[in-house]
Parts: sequence; C-alpha cells; structure tokens
Amino acid sequence: MTSSPPAVLELSGITKHFGDITANRAIDWSLNAGRIYALLGENGAGKSTLMSILAGRYQPDAGTIRRQGRTVRFQSPAQALAAGIGMVYQRFMLVAPLSVAENIRLHGAAGRSRSDRQGASIRELAVRYGLAVDPDALVQDLSMGERQRVEILKLLNRRADILIFDEPTAVLTHTEIAGLFEVFQRLRDEGKTIVFITHKLEEVMAVADEIAVMRRGRMVARLAAADVRSQHDLARLMVGREIILNVDKPPAAPGETVLAVSGLSGPAGSSRPGFEEIAFEVRRGEILAIIGVAGNGQEDLAAGLAGLTPLKTGRLTFKGRRWRAPQWGRKPHEGIAYIPADRDRTASVGAIDLVENFMLTQLAVFSRALRLDRRRAAAATAAAVERFAIRGGGLKAPAGNLSGGNLQKLVLARELARHPDLLLAEQPTQGLDVRATEAVWQALLHQRAASAVLLITGDLKEALSLADRIAVIFRGRILDTIAARDSAAIDRIKLLMAGLETG
Amino acid sequence: MAWRIEKRAAGHGAAPWWTLPASFAMALAVGALIFALLGHNPVAAYGAMARGAVGSFYHFSEVLVRAIPLMLTGLAVALAATMLLWNIGCEGQLVWGGIAAAGVGLFVAPHLPEVLVLPAVILAGAAGGALWALIPAVLKAYLAVNEILSSLLLNYIAIIFMEHLYFGPWRNPEGFGFPGTAQIDEVARLPHWGATRVHLGLGLALVLALLLFGALRRTPWGYRVRVIGHNPQAARYAGFRLRRHVIGVMLLSGALAGLAGMAEVSGIHFRLQQGLAVGYGYDGIIVAWLARLNPLAVPFTALLLGALIVGGEQLQSSLHLPSSISMVLEAVLLFGLLLSEALARYRLVRRASAQPLRRQGEPTPP
Repeated sequence: MTSSPPAVLELSGITKHFGDITANRAIDWSLNAGRIYALLGENGAGKSTLMSILAGRYQPDAGTIRRQGRTVRFQSPAQALAAGIGMVYQRFMLVAPLSVAENIRLHGAAGRSRSDRQGASIRELAVRYGLAVDPDALVQDLSMGERQRVEILKLLNRRADILIFDEPTAVLTHTEIAGLFEVFQRLRDEGKTIVFITHKLEEVMAVADEIAVMRRGRMVARLAAADVRSQHDLARLMVGREIILNVDKPPAAPGETVLAVSGLSGPAGSSRPGFEEIAFEVRRGEILAIIGVAGNGQEDLAAGLAGLTPLKTGRLTFKGRRWRAPQWGRKPHEGIAYIPADRDRTASVGAIDLVENFMLTQLAVFSRALRLDRRRAAAATAAAVERFAIRGGGLKAPAGNLSGGNLQKLVLARELARHPDLLLAEQPTQGLDVRATEAVWQALLHQRAASAVLLITGDLKEALSLADRIAVIFRGRILDTIAARDSAAIDRIKLLMAGLETG
Repeated sequence: MAWRIEKRAAGHGAAPWWTLPASFAMALAVGALIFALLGHNPVAAYGAMARGAVGSFYHFSEVLVRAIPLMLTGLAVALAATMLLWNIGCEGQLVWGGIAAAGVGLFVAPHLPEVLVLPAVILAGAAGGALWALIPAVLKAYLAVNEILSSLLLNYIAIIFMEHLYFGPWRNPEGFGFPGTAQIDEVARLPHWGATRVHLGLGLALVLALLLFGALRRTPWGYRVRVIGHNPQAARYAGFRLRRHVIGVMLLSGALAGLAGMAEVSGIHFRLQQGLAVGYGYDGIIVAWLARLNPLAVPFTALLLGALIVGGEQLQSSLHLPSSISMVLEAVLLFGLLLSEALARYRLVRRASAQPLRRQGEPTPP
C-alpha cells in the first residue's frame, strides 16, 4: 500500500435490517482511488446489500457514508450516480431492441447532446478503456460480455469514478472474464475505484488489490491482496471457524435405504450446466447433507429430486422401486416431502390463510369426496401451531402476514404431517433468526427417527450440526462424502466447497 | 423530503373497503361533468336515469331481464379470473350458446318428448359455449397462446358465423325476407314470470352463483383453482395439474357464457336474430370486477349494471341524450375501481427507510 492517499469513499457503522434479519452490522470500510477491491463472502453474507447501499438503492438504518470527506445520503441510484458511484447489476439493465448508443444516451441526462457527438464520445471512451463495442449495434445482438461493456460505458459516460460490480463474472465465459479483468486494470490505472462482489477465490487472487471479507452481515477482514499467502486462508475467512455444535444429537441408527441415485444429471431441456454424475444413497434414520456454495447445482438437484423439474440421465431407486431418470417425472412423488428454499413463493400461498396453506400438499387427506374437510384441517393446523409455537395472527390470518421463521415452521409442520419416507429440506433455515433456526433443526433431527432426511444447504454450521454424512457439491458434481463425526474433516469440507481440493 | 409514497410491503388480504364507494363517486362525478358539458342538469339527468331503472314495476322488471345474461357472463369471467385466466371471449361463447340452443329448439325439439325439450335446449346452450371456449383453452394449455387474444378474436368469428346462419341456411322461409330464424316452439322457451319478460334464467343464474361460490370455497377443485390463481408456482409444487385445470375452468366458464346466450334465445328472442350479441359478454368483465370475482356478489353488480343500461336508454327518450352515455358510465366505473385498487397498494409514509424484504422481479437482497 502507498502512504495513505485520501479516501474517495468512507463507510462507518453501516447497519441495515430487513425485518428480523440484520443484513449489515456496523460496517466500516474506506476505498481509495486507483484500487481494485474484491468483496468476498458466501451467499447471504450481506455483500449485495452493502453494495446496494453504496449505489443508493437501499438506505442504511444507521451509519454514515462520506464521499471525499463530505457526508452524503443517497435516496436513489440516480443520486449516487450523480456523486460518481455507479453499479453494474448481475441482471443487466439494457433495452434489447435499442442500439448501444441509444442505451447509453437513455441512461444519460435526456437531450444533453446530439446523437452524432454522443457516438463519437462513446467511441472515444471505448478506445480509452479497451471496451470494444460498436455504438450502432443493437443490444439484442450482443454477447453477455459485450452487454457488460455497455453497462460499464453507461457509467463512464456519466463520469462515475467508483464502479461496483455484482458478481460480474457469473455470466461470462473464461475468455470474457480475462477481458473484463484487463478492463478493470485499465480503469484502475486511470484512477477509478473498482469494487466487485464475488465468492470465487481465484478471481480475487487474479485481479484484486484489496480484499474485504464479509460473513453473516459483518466485515470480518480487510487485507491487501499482497498479504494473502494462500487461497486456503481466504476460504477459512469466508466460511468461518465458529462451528458450534449446540444441537444435542444422538448417534444415527441407519435403517433401510430409502433413496439411492446414480449417474444422475439434469435438468433436462435446459442450457444450464445443472448437475452431473450425482450418486448417493440416504437411509431411514440418517441425515445426509449435500453442501455447496450457492450456484453449484444443488438448487437444480433439489428441484429434480422433488419431481418439479425433469431429470436428464441416471437411475433412482426409491423405496425399492427402480426408476430411470426421465421417468421420475415432473410430478411430486408420494412419500417424499419437500421443503423448498423459497418458502414465500413456492412452499406457501401468501393470500390464503394458515389452514388452507396447511392443506396445500395434503389435499387428499383433507377432502372427502367433493368436500374440503376444513374442520379437520383446522384442527390439524391448530395442533401444528401449538407444537411449533407459530405466531402470527391465528388460523384465519393470511400466511403472507407470517414472519419468515413462523412461515417456515408452518411449512415444516405441514411436510412432517405427511409422514414422509424421505424428507427433502433445501436451505431450511436461510434467513431465519436463532430461535427459529433451533426449532427447525430440532424438528429435522426428530424426524430422522422416522424417515430418511436429505438436507441441501450452503450453511456448513447447519450441515455439521445436523448431518451424519456430508457430501460436498462443486460445479454440479459431488466431490466427496465425509462422515460428519470426523472433526478433522471440517477444514477439508471448506476447501472442497471452495473448489480448492478435488475428491 | 419528509413524506413519500411507498408501495405497501404485502398485497395480501382484501382491498380496503373504500375502493368500491370511491369508484362510484368517481363515476358519478365524471358522468355529471359529461351531462353538464352536454348542457343538461346532472341532477335532472341522474333523476331520469333512476326513474327509468326503478321508477315502476315494469322498468325494474326490465332491469332484471338485462341482469340475467350479465349475471351469467359475470360468473363466467369471475370463475376464469379466479385462476388468472382472462376470458374475454364470453361474447363469442354467448353467441355459440345461442346458436346451439336455437338449433336444438328448431331442429331437434320436434323429435323429442316434450318434457325433455327444455332441458335439451339448456344443455345445448351450455355445451355450445363450452366447446367454443375449448379452443382458447387448448391453445393456452398446450401452446401457451395468450387466451386474451385468442378468446377475443374468436368472438368475431362466432358472430359472423351466427349471421351466416340466420341470413343463410337457417333463415326463416316465411320471414318475409327479414334476417332471422323461425321462432322456436313454446315448449322450448323458458317460462316467464307473469306478464313480464323476466324468465326462468334468473333462477338458473342465482342457483349457479350459489353453486359456484360453494364449489370454489368448499371443494378440493375450488381450492386448487384458487391456489393456481394466487400462486401457480406453489400449485406446481403441490402437484396440481395446471393444464387440466386451465381446460376445465375454461370449459365451465364457456358453459356459463353459453347459458347466457341460451337464455337470450329461449327466454327473450325465441329465435336467432340480430340483437343477440349486444355486448353482454364484455359487460361480464365489468360485472365480475365490480364483484371482486366473488360469485355471490355477481348478481348484485349485474343488477347495478342492468339498471345503468336501462336507465341510460331512458335518457334517450326523456332527455334526447345518446344512450351510449350508459356505456361511458360503465367504463368510468371500471376505471374508477381499477384506479382505487391501484392506489390502495400505496401508502403515504414519513421518511421511510425500510424496504420490503422481497418484491417479485427484483434481485433478492441477501
């Protein structure tokens, strides 16, 4: 580091809550001109929230932002941009049928300059920063990498000198990534400040000057890239050491195999890579965790096993019956209860009441011939509300009024009430507070006695607390399956999750 | 910036009570403005409308006559919209219900025992509407063709086909060249209430409203329809068969609209002729929305719209105003309702910093 140049942006004590969740807690960070910053962390660590605060999309609940020494408060992205801070989102915000120049002009102040001059100045900017793109090309004809360059040009055209990128490499090919990093370096050499969000360690090592690591809403480390000795150190910082096994877990007593899969790949009919060559078996009386950093194929795997999206190839044996992957079908299977990651929009219907939500996956149980047996459903719901201490306005309140934790407990109670042979739980405690997390964990452990439990999660603490065996998924493949009792294996799991070790 | 307008976090539960009165107030105000611009005292004009609609027993019975097809098409739209299907094709389904009822009444009835004639006519009406609705239903379920466009465009085909029938092959040979079929027999007509034009279709519509209300709330089928309407993703998660429900609901919706056409043919005109497709299918959309898609509220909003139509016609004879004024009022009523419902989604907050946790279509904050 050079001898402390003046900070172009300084955050102090930035705190942001979403309901019960604290997405950012007392974050201090200062950014200098001419540096590339990597903001590293797992999904849900609070990176995107922090960057959205910088870019004016959210307002912090506490804390101050100082821009070149002056305290600023952005009410909108436009205000942040006027102060020279621009963000490139993961989903590009471009108008596909318009040309590159038109998109850039659309973003600028309306009618400020004539179109021919604009075209010339875009070319000039493009040449200066190595952002080769034809101003007259239509955005719909561009590759993702070219579209990203248009987004960058949009910001440069508005004279932004702090450029924030939310997982900029997620949509790019390998060559495009290399090109993007060259652009980063050129922008840095011109005195711009670059911040990019990522959870990929190799990218951090490749291009960053400074690294900040976030975990569970806090900024746990700020260091210069030159001081990082190995990617392993970063992986540990990112995943954390605070593994507290505070769940009382009796040893597993595995029974018969409920689900065995081999050579599974999917999803069918999709260009996404998804998952490949998945093999595992899960027995009654045990919890198998499949763990991975978000976006490594476990979401598709969960939807495929649940019967919501078609599988491509492979074999499954469920309760002794054999299936070929394409026949597994698009319909939920009797005997599998599925707790999807998206409890608001998949697992529940916000506009109908708790009793009707409790019927969602048990309609056959609660109907007699042509009549819904609402009275029986209400009794069962009341019992669930009692057992799981679900609070939120009573049985006739719309489920949309429940907090995340209470809604998840309702979904869990419903799925357990089906007495499944296999319970498939995907990110069951994501975004929940400590008490709700404990309740969900206890219920999952309790269920282990009755059925096989497949836990798909990105949370290592959750996997270690609950699982008997842990399979690590990376880029759509299971690298290794490790016994959770083996405490020496924890470091290895972290490295596998980061893709730094192979199975 | 001390105050700002913010979108409410959750759109769950019913819209606030004031949206319906607010839309009426807006419709009345705009109507008054139009009357004033046309050089008439708004109070006098509204008075004439009210007298025209409910001023005498005869006038009120005419309101009931108009309300019958409106109830049926209102139920048709409400059922489909409960599952987020926009059946804009009620007009065409009504026409096909009329064609089928007239066809059975004219050509099949002579071969049937008398007691079976009326049931056959009623069933034919329902079947005619249902089959016409099957086209957009299948296109929607299997090819994801937008049902708004397909059902709407099919209306024109239905109307032209009906005209072809009564101008051509079905034209009454003894009709002195007037376009229209022969009259259907007495036994194929819906019984009337006293000397009025009010017919059995009223009872039929009311019973169907009750049945539909019960079916949507108390049966597994109704539950699935509601869940699909609220959240198709959750419905897929629960294993409901979306295609099957799209087709089933569109068939039923079409059958209801077809019954409206049957009621017009068998209860009012007694033949297929000009004046069957007068827009009851489209009015059903307004009826359903004013009723907030609640089948039990549909008869009341249908009466209201019927009164508006009959009252508007009175304006023509008493004040020599165009009767289309009632269509303007209908439109303003619907706009008022949509506008107040849209406004109800916002609230005025002071220095709000809290954002809703998740909104559809936005990147999810971690």
